[in-house]
Amino acid sequence: MAKRLVGAIATVAAGALFIAGLGIYVASAKNDDTLLKASAAGTMITPKGTMPHFTLAIQVYPDSMSGSKGPDGGAHPGWVAYGPSTNFEVPANSAITITVTNYDGGESLNNDFFGKIRGTIDGTATLNGKKITSVPADAVGHTFTVHGMANGQDELFFSVPMRAVPEEAMPEEGYTKTPNVTVFTIITGDVGEYIWNCEYPCGDGTIAKFGNAMSTMSYMSGHFNVVKA
Amino acid sequence: MSVDKSGVRQTTWWKKKDVKQTALIWIILTPILGYFSTEVQVRSMGAPASEIMASTINLMRIFTWTAAPVASLVFAMAGTILLSKSFYGNTPPPEVEVGYTNSPRANALWVVVSAVLCLFALVVGMVAVQRDSATLTDATAMEIKVTGQQWVWSYDYTDGSGVRSEVLYLPVNKPVVFHVTSVDVKHSFWIVQMGIKIDANPGYITETAVTPNKIGVFDVRCAELCGLLHAYMQNKVHVVSQADYDAWIKAQAKLEAATA
Repeated sequence: MAKRLVGAIATVAAGALFIAGLGIYVASAKNDDTLLKASAAGTMITPKGTMPHFTLAIQVYPDSMSGSKGPDGGAHPGWVAYGPSTNFEVPANSAITITVTNYDGGESLNNDFFGKIRGTIDGTATLNGKKITSVPADAVGHTFTVHGMANGQDELFFSVPMRAVPEEAMPEEGYTKTPNVTVFTIITGDVGEYIWNCEYPCGDGTIAKFGNAMSTMSYMSGHFNVVKA
Repeated sequence: MSVDKSGVRQTTWWKKKDVKQTALIWIILTPILGYFSTEVQVRSMGAPASEIMASTINLMRIFTWTAAPVASLVFAMAGTILLSKSFYGNTPPPEVEVGYTNSPRANALWVVVSAVLCLFALVVGMVAVQRDSATLTDATAMEIKVTGQQWVWSYDYTDGSGVRSEVLYLPVNKPVVFHVTSVDVKHSFWIVQMGIKIDANPGYITETAVTPNKIGVFDVRCAELCGLLHAYMQNKVHVVSQADYDAWIKAQAKLEAATA
């Protein structure tokens, strides 16, 4: 009987270990091994006083051939993607200026809430050098939206829409020579691990246009980690 | 001890070894199962931040303790069977003719006990639901539109302030009605510590209501598997005093106007 009992317990334990292992593997799978760290840029005067200043420069492409997947675009070269990485690391309690260069077009947002700039200093950004507070919902190409989380870490939420490149400026091959450049600054809190994603429905026609690139990590979503300065 | 038709002396059923063993396991297991099943659930839900949550926890305790003896009996019977000798190798025991009898009394007892338990759960549950939904018709309630989309919640305050926010602020002890919808796939709006949860369906508006009764920061989560970042579709609800809420809404309205 003892043998049977040990056998039964071992079977249950092996099953639990298998499921736990699978869960850990899935949770840690980033699908993108690259990491872009913010570069130091001195200090900045902010509403919270003078803070260490860092910068990040990222791009949005209409395909995957200039991002972390390499020049062949990886498994899905036609999918829209952020680059040069989809994993970002920025210091805690600092001002972070993020420059997003958008080479892609767009249509309309599902929710005009994300047409407005939220969570940046003063709720503003600059678009091609001009100060803005929002982009019309029907002219948004993508958004860069970091989620506030309910897990005890600092609430870090910001969402910035990127103006779409007009259809007539989108070339048949290659990228437009007139991308839209959006610059904004956020202030980080304490150390935390966050997720970002695009809130413009730029996937395929399935799942409310949140399929393919929108439903696979490292295209239009990734990690945004705030680390000790 | 009784004698059957063939004259063989039979042990009374409740004096049989396996019945005694089952009874012993049942008696030991019932309080253990009742206590741990209740406490694990209640502790994982966190301290209640509304009457609805308090009554949900209360219901959970009652239902779990009511179910504990039933579940324990099943486990006890299963345990007795699993622990009994069932493999005899090359010396199997002689086949025993087992006579199955129908006991109307046992059947009636089983049906009545099951029916009473179900009726109890139904009545107690409906009373709680009825009490909770009274807030929906409260004329003094504030109203907030909740929009779910992959994978963020946003909130529109419909009090004329024009405030839109990704974080929810509520005044303590004030009833609030949520008008919930989705702009893409199905989500489920769940304020964990307040015990309210309702589906967010594209093209439809569903409603739920609550009166937060504790100041603090609580969790909002999506409770409907909705895609890649479903696990991250969460944010916070801040329950503050009326004065703090008024100050927050004023500041937000000012910010909205400045960035319009």
